[in-house]
Amino acid sequence: MAQRRDDRYTFDGLPLNPVEPGTSLLVTGPVLSGAREMGLRLLCSSDADGGTVLVATDKDATTMLADFERHGGVLDRERVRVIDCAQESGDLPEDSVSTVNTPADLTGIGIEYSGQYESTYASGYTRVRTGIITLTPLLVYSDDVRAVYRFLNTITGRIGTADGLGICVLDPNAHEEQVVESVAQFFDGRVDVRADQGALDLRVAGLRDQPTNWTPVGT
Amino acid sequence: MSDSPTVLCAQSDTDERAETADALGDAGLAVEGVRSLDTLTAALDRSVDCVVTAFDLPDGDGFDVVDAVRSVNPACVVILYTEHAPSDLPRGGPEQVVEYVPRTVPESRERLADVAAMAAAEVTQAAYPVPETESERLSAVQRYDVDQLAAIDAFDRLTALMASHFDIDVAFVGLMDEHEERFVACEGANWRTLAREDTICTHTILSDETMVVEDTHEDPRFAEVDALKQLDIRSYAGVRITDEEGSAIGAVCCTDGEPRRYTQTEIDDLQRFADEVEEQLLLRRRLQGAP
Repeated sequence: MAQRRDDRYTFDGLPLNPVEPGTSLLVTGPVLSGAREMGLRLLCSSDADGGTVLVATDKDATTMLADFERHGGVLDRERVRVIDCAQESGDLPEDSVSTVNTPADLTGIGIEYSGQYESTYASGYTRVRTGIITLTPLLVYSDDVRAVYRFLNTITGRIGTADGLGICVLDPNAHEEQVVESVAQFFDGRVDVRADQGALDLRVAGLRDQPTNWTPVGT
Repeated sequence: MSDSPTVLCAQSDTDERAETADALGDAGLAVEGVRSLDTLTAALDRSVDCVVTAFDLPDGDGFDVVDAVRSVNPACVVILYTEHAPSDLPRGGPEQVVEYVPRTVPESRERLADVAAMAAAEVTQAAYPVPETESERLSAVQRYDVDQLAAIDAFDRLTALMASHFDIDVAFVGLMDEHEERFVACEGANWRTLAREDTICTHTILSDETMVVEDTHEDPRFAEVDALKQLDIRSYAGVRITDEEGSAIGAVCCTDGEPRRYTQTEIDDLQRFADEVEEQLLLRRRLQGAP
């Protein structure tokens, strides 16, 4: 039992208890005032064998990596990899960055994600945190939401079976409530984020031993 | 009959296929090797848990395999196992999302076996949300052999009453199997089954609240579902039915060809109809001496 507790994913500087390997979390809130920052902070790993695979859908890889670093991530091309599907990419010479032409290409994103995941894993970073920041373009660009459902089953399935951690950001104001509720079904828990005069609060639903009331987030 | 998850392995080269099959077998999977899209198609059925395929086959490619698998077993996991880098693969359609293990990583066959073993046992590539307790739910559905319970006549009477009471086109009782909804009673239409990804009920069974869709054309979850248009389902209200342990086995539903609202009184009435169906099922199982 003690060994299992040691395997849990921790979140430095955030008012969250560790979560079990294989957990996928949906982070909801205004993207520009809190949810993106929260998503990136949840992806920061201090584990020696920790890696991060980021699916960047609304900012290009360079901007996403700069944001990740600003929020505490350590940029190491062996352990931090990006799938850039923001349609804004310039030259991306590094193997650690893949490109997909459009957020509508869910098949391409899925394959590139698996490829980068395998490269991370093969480099010895086996505790992989996966981030999709954000889900909104995937939903907006998909004519039929069922394709996104299949994509989410595939991605969260890999995260679950590989004992990884999944963090997906979604702005609920950008979608119909029914869509947000149905997307939330694919996740083990939901982290709601709000910004109050620049200060962030969070609360968690669906996971035990986590703050269920609005809780201030330190900087 | 083996209890091991079943995997089809499609590679054209005999020696490579044998080596891959050995690695998958060592991971506890029951493997059937096939050399082409044709032979894979012949071997496909709903008992297959996972398909591992090369991208290049003599009579097709990996995305042809995905299409073949989805047409028979829509939730089955498909893993591309190929030396092609992702950027070298042609673009697939949005419904062709797959797993991918590159042959270029060290000890790729062993890694493939790990991914396949875990995916075959635990992962779905279904195009709908799946309840967390799906295995228990499916076991619960299987315990209700509605024909044997002689409940059909009672459900036919109930659905006829519902259609009249709500003044709607169709009222039905549906049981949600692994891949499709089975209509065990249906007043106003002759529906037998519907693929699960096309049903509204696959969402209804996720919640204990009544599911109301006032206009499918205005709801982004259903606006692109052709099957609903073909069945003339423009509005919907449904309540899930559960067994004694709370597992959702299906739903009791109203549909109409026009957009429609449901008052709270109507929603309460629909809930009562669903309670009646649940009770009928339970009592008849008890009469049969089922545990």
